[in-house]
Amino acid sequence: MEYRLKINEETFPVELENDGEEKIKAVIGEKKFDVSFSAVNDHQLHLVINGQRINAYVGDQNDGKIIMIRGKSYFVQDAERVEQTKTRKKGPGSSPSEVTPPMPAVVIAVSVVEGDSVKKGQTVVIVSAMKMETTLNAPFDGTVKKVNVAEGDKVMPGDILVDIEKTEIKEAVSSVL
Amino acid sequence: MFKKILIANRGEIALRVINTCRDMGVKTVAVYSDADKKALHVLSADEAVYLGPSEPSQSYLDMDKIINAAKITGAEAIHPGYGFLSENSAFVEKCDQQGVIFIGPPAKVIKDLGDKITSRKIMVNSGVPVTPGLISTEADAGVMTAEAEKLGYPVLIKATAGGGGKGIRIVQSSDEMADACAAASREAKSAFGNGEIYLEKFFTKARHIEFQVLADQFGNTIHLLERECSVQRRHQKIIEETPSSVLTPALREAMGQAAVTAAKASGYVNAGTVEFLVDENLKFYFLEVNTRLQVEHPVTEMVTGLDLVRLQLEIASGKKLALTQEDIKGRGHAIECRIYAEDPENGFFPSPGKIIFLKEPSGPGIRNDCGVYSGFDVPVDYDPILSKLIVHAETREQAIHKMVKALKSYIVLGIKTPIEFLMNVLQSEPFVRGEVFTDFIDTHFSNWKPYMTDADIARIAFIVDEMCGTRKMRKTVSLHDEIPTPWQTLGHWRHGL
Repeated sequence: MEYRLKINEETFPVELENDGEEKIKAVIGEKKFDVSFSAVNDHQLHLVINGQRINAYVGDQNDGKIIMIRGKSYFVQDAERVEQTKTRKKGPGSSPSEVTPPMPAVVIAVSVVEGDSVKKGQTVVIVSAMKMETTLNAPFDGTVKKVNVAEGDKVMPGDILVDIEKTEIKEAVSSVL
Repeated sequence: MFKKILIANRGEIALRVINTCRDMGVKTVAVYSDADKKALHVLSADEAVYLGPSEPSQSYLDMDKIINAAKITGAEAIHPGYGFLSENSAFVEKCDQQGVIFIGPPAKVIKDLGDKITSRKIMVNSGVPVTPGLISTEADAGVMTAEAEKLGYPVLIKATAGGGGKGIRIVQSSDEMADACAAASREAKSAFGNGEIYLEKFFTKARHIEFQVLADQFGNTIHLLERECSVQRRHQKIIEETPSSVLTPALREAMGQAAVTAAKASGYVNAGTVEFLVDENLKFYFLEVNTRLQVEHPVTEMVTGLDLVRLQLEIASGKKLALTQEDIKGRGHAIECRIYAEDPENGFFPSPGKIIFLKEPSGPGIRNDCGVYSGFDVPVDYDPILSKLIVHAETREQAIHKMVKALKSYIVLGIKTPIEFLMNVLQSEPFVRGEVFTDFIDTHFSNWKPYMTDADIARIAFIVDEMCGTRKMRKTVSLHDEIPTPWQTLGHWRHGL
């Protein structure tokens, strides 16, 4: 069995072989690992890897697992699943041309109304999370088509707070085609 | 002593106060907002009163609702914690009018010390050294520029009503002065409704060292030694320790004296903190007085063996201070790390959300003042502090080791925390050598990235977790509350072959 696992944009194949009850052999690149394991509870695994005893803590998050080992966190994803998911839906922040908050937040000010024309970089919404304010700017020159939020609304990454229609610079584009 | 008090706060500090109240047999009343219906302080107090919507102005900052909650529950006193209403003199006045005791200094003291110019004047008049600069407000940019020339650049323009880093500008040269004055004043005006500004010398290489003071209602004032708080991000402390590695016994004595003088000169009562800047030549300057219990108070508790919340309650209930300055002896070394819900890899951006698993460190000399639990949804509405982790050991070196060990066994899954970042800071050479200045993080850790030393082990753990499939037997991998579809409950699967 082979897995392709991704950490920090780096994907490595992991070759796996069952080696008895709660035992596996793994090969990652040149390195070989003899592993025995037990699940301590829903979030804790006890691993003995090449004789070294390690506790790993695992939680599910978005399209992967967050794993804590010796105080360090690793976000590990199944590379194949990530590729499948990518074609299915757009994740938050996948398009930089949207007005969306970088973290869960509360809207504290909306500086535009429908019909406004905005310049690239102009403040359109200010959000606040945990006492830290973040200004969201217009990603390009355009016209505000719709304002989807009001002051006090709770918003999540991926939520489009303001729809902005891009101003076409070259009017000729459509007529040529 | 009080029979029952109300805690006008939330999170770890509310829990901290409840803890001591339990020790003393004092009943506790928690208050909460919509976002905090299932917060730990609400689950832990003897009584809880709902205040209103999550928005702080309609709950934790609503003075009338809070005083009313104290009245209907029969709480005799209010502990304000830190933040929220803790340094609000109008709130203290309201408490006085309503016959509820405020556990903290009198309204006038909070008002005087909250105004930077008034507090600088009090200190200058009583001989406490203040940072060089103006001791009155100045609206004329020309006068400000002339003063800045005298002090030498860089200088700091500050709002008199300042706080939270607002209305502050660092100015490097005279041609920036006029614009910076206007900008600082405008920012202060919109943040505090008061655009008054003044000027101070800016120290590029400085330490932030503060002294805990304690004063009863009878004029007895002592200090409880120092705290070194130089390691900061966005002007907010993240690691604090005591003793400071640069204070000689003579300097500690002099600064302690100055702190007591500062407290006495302002008529201080209850627990407070006198903050100083210490420059490279070990000259110290008064910065401000924090008129509340500080987040970092536990390091003082560890080395002195005292419970500051207990002392606060005793002083507020009219008890005379039994301790004298000679009774205060520091033993060993204590370090505190603040565990925030934030992402150190991305400019310490807030990281609210659900904690899916939490395991707190424990062991001899380890204390974790924690306000959250496994399953708690950390709200976006409030301060990002989850807990403060404190260790106590014989020496600084041992305390650093103990803290690193404690951080290694501190597990928080679901939201980002600076646990690994803090480990790196504590183990870094400048920190180990005690070379900590307020620019420490910017100088040594500005583009911090985690080391991926255990990446292979993480990959193996991923696979083992898939094989065990413990969580998927009961719950879906989906983080949403909707009814799971077979596609979610199936877990790991592949198309075709």
